[in-house]
Amino acid sequence: MFATERRRRSAYLYLTPAALIFLVFTLGPAFFVLYISLFNWNFLNSAQSTFVGFHNYTNLLASSTFWHSLGISLYFVIGTVPVGLFLALVIAMALMNQFAGRGFVRLAVFSPYVTPVVATSIVWIWIFNPQFGLLNGLLHMAHLPELGWLESQRWAMPGVILYTLWHSLGFDVIIFMAGLSAISADLREAARIDGANRWQEFWSVTWPLLTPTTLFVLIITTIGSLQAFTQFFTMTSGGPLSATTTTSYLLYQLAFLFYRTGPAAALAVLLFILIAGLTALQMLLSQRRTHYQ
Amino acid sequence: MPTKKTTALVMASTLVGVLAAGCGSATAPKASGPVTITFMEAMSSGTLKPATQALVSQFEKSHKNIKIELQVEPSYSVLETKIEASVTADQAPTIAQAYEDWAAGYANSGAIVPLNSYVDGSNGVTAQQKSQIWPGVWKDQILPDGKIWMWPFNKSDFVMYYNQTWLNKENLPVPTTWSQFATDAQAVTSSSANTWGVSIDPGSTSGASNGTYLYVSLIRAYGGHLMKNGKPNFDSIPAQKALSYIVHMYQNGSMKFGTSYPGQTALGAQHGLFDLSTIASYYYNEKAIGGKFTMGVAPFPKGPAGEGNVMQGTNLVMFSGASTAQKNAAWTFMKWLSEPAQTAYWATKTGYLPVTKAALPLMTSYYNSHPYQKIAAESLTYARPTPPVAGMAQAVGALANAIQAATIGHQSVATALATAESKATSDVNSAQ
Repeated sequence: MFATERRRRSAYLYLTPAALIFLVFTLGPAFFVLYISLFNWNFLNSAQSTFVGFHNYTNLLASSTFWHSLGISLYFVIGTVPVGLFLALVIAMALMNQFAGRGFVRLAVFSPYVTPVVATSIVWIWIFNPQFGLLNGLLHMAHLPELGWLESQRWAMPGVILYTLWHSLGFDVIIFMAGLSAISADLREAARIDGANRWQEFWSVTWPLLTPTTLFVLIITTIGSLQAFTQFFTMTSGGPLSATTTTSYLLYQLAFLFYRTGPAAALAVLLFILIAGLTALQMLLSQRRTHYQ
Repeated sequence: MPTKKTTALVMASTLVGVLAAGCGSATAPKASGPVTITFMEAMSSGTLKPATQALVSQFEKSHKNIKIELQVEPSYSVLETKIEASVTADQAPTIAQAYEDWAAGYANSGAIVPLNSYVDGSNGVTAQQKSQIWPGVWKDQILPDGKIWMWPFNKSDFVMYYNQTWLNKENLPVPTTWSQFATDAQAVTSSSANTWGVSIDPGSTSGASNGTYLYVSLIRAYGGHLMKNGKPNFDSIPAQKALSYIVHMYQNGSMKFGTSYPGQTALGAQHGLFDLSTIASYYYNEKAIGGKFTMGVAPFPKGPAGEGNVMQGTNLVMFSGASTAQKNAAWTFMKWLSEPAQTAYWATKTGYLPVTKAALPLMTSYYNSHPYQKIAAESLTYARPTPPVAGMAQAVGALANAIQAATIGHQSVATALATAESKATSDVNSAQ
């Protein structure tokens, strides 16, 4: 009895340093954001801050800027998550086959993921340059109309999506390859003995057993897309004409460009609720269709 | 074996340790010896850093009782963040570089002190010295409450760079009016040769760029003002005419938009005839051109109402948390920096402009070898900053958005400017 109590205390004691660091540097600031979202906050002189209740929230929910940014975020999520999932799965399956130079191709697919977003997005700004860029050069050679890319209200977001897919696909591919490796070869062999063709083997064996991996990639990429910021910061600054002002970028604008701390904190809380809600919904919907070996 | 007491002790000491790690210690002024002041600045690149250090060293030699500790930041955006973090943490520097709208925000929050008592005090500035400071530079120190909150430091303004070789070849004049500028730009525009007049970065809601300031200069050249009766005045007739001018050039292909100094890139690549940028860009333009042709520099062309230009660069502000001794020492340094000999040294070493006309006689030989600098210095006669009002950076972002709305977004000029004015009014009100 006493020994159990002592072990319990010891466990708490060993956990204390990590718990305190988490409390002070993660949980504390998060609750502080919640607190200042209820104020017209003056960060230079907090004594001048005034309590406004849920005013920052109601203002945001009534503002067209907020809903516009949410629409832009949704556009980005749709452009990166389903497309990224599909491409990653196809590439992962292709890279599971034996062929000459497979190691190099795997490296080539994964390497963009480990490059810094700031550096590579600057390179892509030049690729997208309407007057001097590589992409318009290729379009010109193919006798196709040249595009405004990041300078165009219509093409700026597809440009950022293209860059994001290039940069992040490698991570999804690796996760899918890990998932594919974990599927027992016996099951696929049994399907083939039963006369299944390659598509039937994929659809009835591989895909159902990949659902835990797919769920993981889906949740991680959705959260990542909703939080995406750096490429918007370096490539478009939210423009042109707010065509790439996602909710995360709007949060940055409010907090660090316009120093409207209270509304920015309220937006951070709303974004947290949105991501948490979407993740819960994805897990709930996927649970029934997730198969484990 | 841990007891309750030891558990509590370890937890408490860990908490104290963690909290202490996150906190710095305030630098208390010493009871005797030289007064140390801190100067937070962003003069960190190229010739700026050694020039700043040389001035500080020179000042310390002639003022043995004052020590200056430079806190160098890599860029203005980092500087702004660091100033605000330090003020929030009660660790503000003694003085710092600041743009006008930053200063307006700091003044509203009581973070900085007005300088009137120093300027007009026994160690102040004489009427004759005041009269030598460029009019625009002098007005730039004063916030709408009429008090002097800033002191001039690094100033620049816009000039017109052009491909002299190309202009000569086409037998075109160096434009002195915006009308002539548009004619020249149209004359060299060719889709088959992939050439055009000028590239600009119009800016975005996130903030102004060179193209936004070109538009502000045009508004002034058409006789307009950004503020009227303390409110944004973006939807005026001059503002509409100026925006129509930009829309016209954009639509006929003689003006193109880009980001990351597109005018410099196009000029250097011999696709663009002009670049409209600050005098501080001279060195970088020369690098982009790489000796391929002769680059000319001229003042911004005139509009129907005369000249228009936007003053760039920062001022110095003094923070309220400093001790009286530190404030007095800081003022001595600020005043010393703006004196003719020092501002002349600063200008010749960095390419920024002298803040006082009294420095010009000291720079004769420099201007003989760098005539373009004199063009920019003389433009200070009429260059004005963006209004020193809290929220103005956001408001000017709305103006940048209007440029894009009327061009890329195909909105009418009137609608784009009405939207911008409404947004800017709300931004300025929110920031007060």
